[in-house]
Parts: sequence; C-alpha cells; structure tokens
Amino acid sequence: MNNIYMPHLAEIKEVIDESPDTRTFRLKFKDSDTAERFDFKAGQFAEYSAFGDGESTFCIASSPTRKDFLECSFKVYGKVTQALHRLNKGDTIGIRGPYGNWFPLDELKGKNLLFIAGGIGIAPVRCVIDNVLDMRNEFKDLTIICGARSVSDLIYKQEIKEWKARTDIKTIITVDPGGENASWDGEVGFVPAVIEKTAPPSDNTAVILCGPPVMIKFTMPVLTKLGFKDEDVYTTLENRMKCGLGKCGRCNIGNVYVCKDGPVFTYAQIKRLPQEF
Amino acid sequence: MNFKMDEKIISKEDLLKICQDVIAKGHTLLTPGMNEYFPVKDISQINLNSSALPAKTSYKSYVFPRSEPVLYYKRSKDDVQLIDVNVDGKNIIILGAKPCDTNSISIMRHLFNWDYSDEFFNLREKHFIIIGLMCSHYDEYCFCTSVGSSPVSDKGSDIFLIPLDENNFALRIITEKGKEFIEPYAEYLKPGDETRSKQVTENVKLPEVVFDSKEVYEWLGENFESPKWEGIGNLCLSCAQCAFVCPVCHCFDIVDEDYSYSEGRRMKNWDGCQFGNFTLHASGHNPRDIQSKRYRQRVNHKFRYYVDKFGEILCTGCGRCSRGCPVSIDIKEIVSNCKESV
Amino acid sequence: MEELREYAKELLEKKEVAAVIGYTQVSENRTKPIIITDPADASKLVFNEYCLNNLSVYLTKARINAMCRTKDKIMKLAICAKPCDVHSIVALIQENQVHRNDIVIISFNCHGAVKDFGYEFSGENLASKCITCETHKPLYFDKIFGEEKETPKASDAALARIEELESMTHEERFEYFNNEFDKCIKCYACRAVCPLCYCQRCITDKAIPRWIESSSHQRGNFSWNIVRAFHLSARCTGCGECDRACPMDIPLSLINRRMAMEAKKSFSYVSGRSLETPTLVGSFNEKDSDELFM
Repeated sequence: MNNIYMPHLAEIKEVIDESPDTRTFRLKFKDSDTAERFDFKAGQFAEYSAFGDGESTFCIASSPTRKDFLECSFKVYGKVTQALHRLNKGDTIGIRGPYGNWFPLDELKGKNLLFIAGGIGIAPVRCVIDNVLDMRNEFKDLTIICGARSVSDLIYKQEIKEWKARTDIKTIITVDPGGENASWDGEVGFVPAVIEKTAPPSDNTAVILCGPPVMIKFTMPVLTKLGFKDEDVYTTLENRMKCGLGKCGRCNIGNVYVCKDGPVFTYAQIKRLPQEF
Repeated sequence: MNFKMDEKIISKEDLLKICQDVIAKGHTLLTPGMNEYFPVKDISQINLNSSALPAKTSYKSYVFPRSEPVLYYKRSKDDVQLIDVNVDGKNIIILGAKPCDTNSISIMRHLFNWDYSDEFFNLREKHFIIIGLMCSHYDEYCFCTSVGSSPVSDKGSDIFLIPLDENNFALRIITEKGKEFIEPYAEYLKPGDETRSKQVTENVKLPEVVFDSKEVYEWLGENFESPKWEGIGNLCLSCAQCAFVCPVCHCFDIVDEDYSYSEGRRMKNWDGCQFGNFTLHASGHNPRDIQSKRYRQRVNHKFRYYVDKFGEILCTGCGRCSRGCPVSIDIKEIVSNCKESV
Repeated sequence: MEELREYAKELLEKKEVAAVIGYTQVSENRTKPIIITDPADASKLVFNEYCLNNLSVYLTKARINAMCRTKDKIMKLAICAKPCDVHSIVALIQENQVHRNDIVIISFNCHGAVKDFGYEFSGENLASKCITCETHKPLYFDKIFGEEKETPKASDAALARIEELESMTHEERFEYFNNEFDKCIKCYACRAVCPLCYCQRCITDKAIPRWIESSSHQRGNFSWNIVRAFHLSARCTGCGECDRACPMDIPLSLINRRMAMEAKKSFSYVSGRSLETPTLVGSFNEKDSDELFM
C-alpha cells in the first residue's frame, strides 16, 4: 500500500548546538535510493518524527544544491521538539516530505536580493542564501539582515562568519537592545530599525523575510516606506500542521492551506487572506 | 439477464434472502439503527424503514475510522524499524443508507485524493457497496434539499431502493459496482415499473428549501468579521459532537502511542475544529484562539472553503450536528438567517 | 412567564446585570440557551418543562465573564436555574469558581423536565434525574417564579440499573463499563456540558506527558471516562447533562451517581447542597471514616 503517512528513516550524523534552546541536525537518509530521490526546493518543509512522541513541522534548512546531507534546525517548544532535543548523534528520526511550495528563485534571477531573518526564522532564509550562493552569478547584490534577541540566541554563528568573510554579500547582524555582550561588534537594535538604516535601494530588489509574527508586523511598514512592493516581499507562514498533505484540516487560512499553497507567500497574497494566522 | 433497464422490482422477502447470502459469504452488512449503522448478525435485525430519522452517527467510521494505526515502529538503542499496516479490504454492504448519507463518501473523496492519495480511505471505499433507501420523513433539523440533495436522490448509491408497498421495492441499479453486486441475484429481480416508483417519489414530502447555498457562499465571503460569530461563540461549548457525528467532517490528528520503550504505533484519530487545541502552536500562539473564530471556521469550511477547493458543499443536510448539539446550535438556522441583522 | 421577562428586563435596564443567561423556545417541545444583553430581548425568555440545559456551565466561561467588566462598572450575571441547576451553582461557589455576590440566581418551582426534546412532557418522557429529585424548590435563589406542581410519576430505571450493576461480579461490571466506554468517540461533549468540568486545561489536553491517550480506542476511552468519574466523585451534583450530551448514549451518569452514593454513605456528603459546608474533597475531618482507604 502506498502509505502517505510513512516517513523515511534518517540517521543523525551530527548535532550542532546553535543556542541554548536551538539545535541543528545534519541528517542522512538510511536508504541510499531515498537520498538520491529526495529532491526539494528552497522554502519547502518536512515532517520530522521522534518515534514515540510524534511529528513536528519545520523547514529544510540546508540548500537543495548541497545533496550529501539534509539539515533542519528547531527550537525546543513542545512535545516533539523536546523529544528531538533528547536525541544524539547516531540516533534515527523519520522524515516525510518535502511538502509545500518554495521561493521562486528562477523568477528572481537577475535581481538584487535582501534577506531579512529574525530568530529561528533564519533557518528557511539560510536555505535560500546557500542556494543563491551556489549560483551566485545569477543574482546581483545580496544583503543579509539578521536579528536575534541576544548574542547567545543568535543561531548559525558558523554560517554567519562565512557570509561575513565574503565580499560579494553585505551581512548585517543585529541583536535586540540589551542582548549584546562585551565582545559584540554587530548592530544593536530591533530588526525594523536596522532595516531602515541599512537596507539597499528597493529598485529591482526582492525581499525574503522570515521571522516571528511580531517582527514581520513591524517590518512590513518599514519596507513599504522604503519603496519595496508587496509583490516583491516573500515570506513564510507557519500554522500548526499534522499531515502536511492538505488533509488534516488545521493549517488553513480561509481557503488557503498553508501546507499546500504555502508556506511561501508574497506579502501581497497575505494581505488578501482573512486575518486569521 | 438484460440490464439495459436499470429499474427492477424486488420483494422484501427476496431482498432479505440476498442479505442472508451476503452475511453467509462473510461480508459485513451494515444497516441503520437508532444510534448507528450496525453490522447485521441476523436478518431479523433489518428494518428497512424509510420513515426513520437518520441514525445518530453515519457510517463514516467504516471508511475513516475514529482511530486507526498508520504505522508501527520498533526501537532499539540504535535503530528504528517501521512496519507498514494493511488495510482490511473486506466488502462492506450498506443496506438502507439514507440519501443524506449516500453522497458523503463522494464528497470526502475529493479531500482524500487531491494531490496525495490517502489509501486508507481509498481501499476501504473501494469495497463499499451502498444500497440507498428513499427517505420519507424529515424533522425540523433536516435540510438536504437546501444543499442540493433530496430524500429521493440516488446520488452516491450503487443501488437505490424505493418502497412501492409494504412488501415490494423498486430497485434501481445506479453504478457498475451495483450491477456487479446484484447480478448473481438476478433470479430475485422482477421487471420494473417506473411509473409506479415515480408516483412514490413524486409524493414524497420534501423538506422546504431554507437557504440558497450560493447566497450563503457570498455572505460568508463578505462577513468574515460579522458580529454573528461572537454570539454563536458565546453559546458554543467547544465540544466536537457536531464534527464527529457529521458524515463528511474529516479532520484528523496524528499521534504516537508507545506500548513500551521498544514498541509503539502512530495513530490517525478524528479531531474537531471546535477544540481550542486544534490549531494551538507549541509556542502558545493560536490563530483560532476563541470559540467564535472556531465556529466561523466550521461554517466557512462547509459552505465556502470546500466549495472553493472542490466545488461541493461539505454538508449533506442530515441535521445530525444540530439534532445532537448539547446547546441546540442549529447550523441550518445559522446559515439560513445569515443575512438577518444580529 | 411575563413576570420573568419583566424582571430580566429590569435587571438589564438598571444595568445591575451584564447579561441574563436563560432559555428561549425553539419549537413546541424544545428550548435552547440564550444569552441576553439587550433589555428588548428579555421577551424571548421562557421557562417550562422543556428547559433541559444546565446553564451554570456558562458561569465559568471567560468570554461570558468578560461581558461583566465594562470601563466604569463591574456588573453581575443573571442566570436562570432549575432547583437542580442551583446545586451546580452551589458547588461552583463552594469550589471558589463563582462568587455568590457576582450572580443573580433566577430560579423556579420545578416539577420536572423532559428526558428528550421533541416529545411532550409526561411520566414517560421525564428526565431520570427528576424521578428521584427531592428539590422542587431551589435551595438558594434571588428571585423565584412559577407555581408548585406535582411531578409526574415514573419509575427510576437508572436506580434499577445501578442495583443491577451492584449485583454483578467485579469482572462483569468491568466488562459492562468497558463495553459502554468502547462506544466513546472522544468528542468530549460530556466535558463541555459539565458545569464542574471547568478546568482551564483538562488533563486530556496535556501532551507532556500524555496521561490519557487521545485515541478513542478501548484503552484511551477507558482511561478518559474513569479519570473523569474520579475527578467528579463527591463533586458531581447529578444534573445528568453528560448523559444527555453523549452522542453515543453512554450512561455516564450511572457511574457518577454511584460515586455520589458512596460519598453519601461514607461521609454523609451530598455535593452542591450547602454554601456553608466545605467541599468533601477539599476538607479534612479527623472523624472521617477510613473505610475507603485501600
């Protein structure tokens, strides 16, 4: 029987502690066939199982161009993420996916890109950044603005270091006021304020924006003020999901199913949705 | 036997003989009782009564069980093994299904098959043979005629029965599946008389059409923020009685259940959109945090979102949700009065 | 009826109460709950034998209580309650969920309510709780309406059923309840209608750890129904709403009634009868019988 609820098994090859409550797993499918066939695009998500505790939904954080492994990052919140957090290198988890739509990178070729990420929202953005970097000459200027509550909450420190070292990307990292420490050399300030100060011109620029709802709420007016069009701002929505297949009935916003029609939406699309997310 | 004529006559006695044979062959024969469609053990339990109200629950659970394993897992210190499940493809014959139940499967079929196919549903559905029975009674909660069905509709039935008199039924063969089922019993079938059955169906009193589903669709689109939702939300107690007795509500949950550290299974369980937990994020955020939003979702899902997605209303008009609601919230009343001011 | 409507209207007009929770007629043999905030709607109120719902379940709802708090005034809530519903209100007051001064109890002289909507009131269609009811006059009220009338005679099938269950062996009884609970579809209508199931977060909603399996299979159903019975023992006032709400017709109140019998026998305690007595489970008395300790 073709069982759509059956996950693929994957081994945790590496555990990276990003912050006190956020972890990244580097995963490899146990079955080499699956590893070969598992094809996805930047922005898609998967259902990750901790057997005995259930499944949890998060994006694929590694780039589709880097096929030797799959990465996911999660923050400990509920039952399943707690259970995942208890797992170690060598343990087995389940993966179902990839599901949902993706960032239309093909359409964005030839444009400047502005990446804005807050908190754990950097995970899907990182997937796009790495993807874009692997075909760097297809895009024009790249800017990354990334925020976290505090220095210790900042995740992907290693990746950020690499981005900063490159001359073909402008990387701005900020922490919320009070979140800095003595050795902090980045910006201090909330993401919207930092954008206002450092954003590139809006001409021919698409924005890829992910972060907590409150950050998005305050970032959007700033982007509009800076001349970015709603159609050029891409973001992801997260609603509670169980199946990821458009069946279980809980992730809908109006007649839009986040698991099928999303998770990637332009701000113009979001504005047309009923305000129930 | 010539099957060009799709209507036959069968006596009750002969129909029961068929039932007897079906049971003897080891198939499951379901028939509606007061509370539920139950598996018939003895043909004396069969009561082909067209004037009964719909049973409290539909036969949904036979195609979409309230709780079923989707996989089993075995864990050891450094490995996990997954074991697939097999869906029991036993023939299920549903005798005397109400017209408000018969098209439930075809409505749900869209959902379980768009893009990804849920074989748990499909394999069970494949083995269903639905023998509908004309309905001749309605109460204040029935509204099948308002959602495009009717007590004499054979939509969704494989075979449809119309009681001609106390001892005889007109038997209409609707689908290929129905034809295959009845063929071995051709000896029991007498030539049909369409004028007689037509006379019966034309005399059935139909529940009044109380709303125009297109108008409801429009209204819902324009009244997402209507104060009406708040009033209903104040009364609704957030149970899932309405969803669980509904023949077409299909939302579910997926949870893991351990037997021990080394063994367990993953379950697919019915879930209800009126539960506060339904959309609650682990972070504590809840898009439908209050009851009025949850009730709005229920009505919108049935009369607008499902229509947008699949072109059909997610409702058969059986009235079960309202009949059983502990605080007498009546969906028919809500949608038919939607335009009236609060 | 007119007096009731006048009284409710007055309460609303004088802004003494934010809302009146009452009953309104739907059809001949049926009523439904209504929450009235506009004095003009007071004319929709009714009280008769078809007022089945126990409305005290609304008293602990945050959204209803929110109506009472306006910018410049905190108002009361008025509630229509049959004498048996008053027991639930008393239990809620005893358990500090509702404050006596925050509510206006509008009660009635009661001679029974129907078992099922849609049928005429008679001895055959009498709610089982009414058969053994001894409280035809409310124990507490702010206003009372209706005249005293005789309750129709009927036999108590539920009591007979309890006696029958008592005569069974332990295994037979276990089997009986297991079969009944097996029907449960976990819609939680029993929890939703119960005035005393007011927990902000029910044990079934807790996932870490998951105490009660959410699946509606035998194990999950048994644990849910037994845990609920335990949580209600010596608290359930016997309003029978769980029985009525259950779409699968599980005789839930049998088990609750049996627990109440135990509380009465062992501690002479009946839930929801006196505002002066502390709750049984919430108080300690050194003279209490030890018999129930295992």
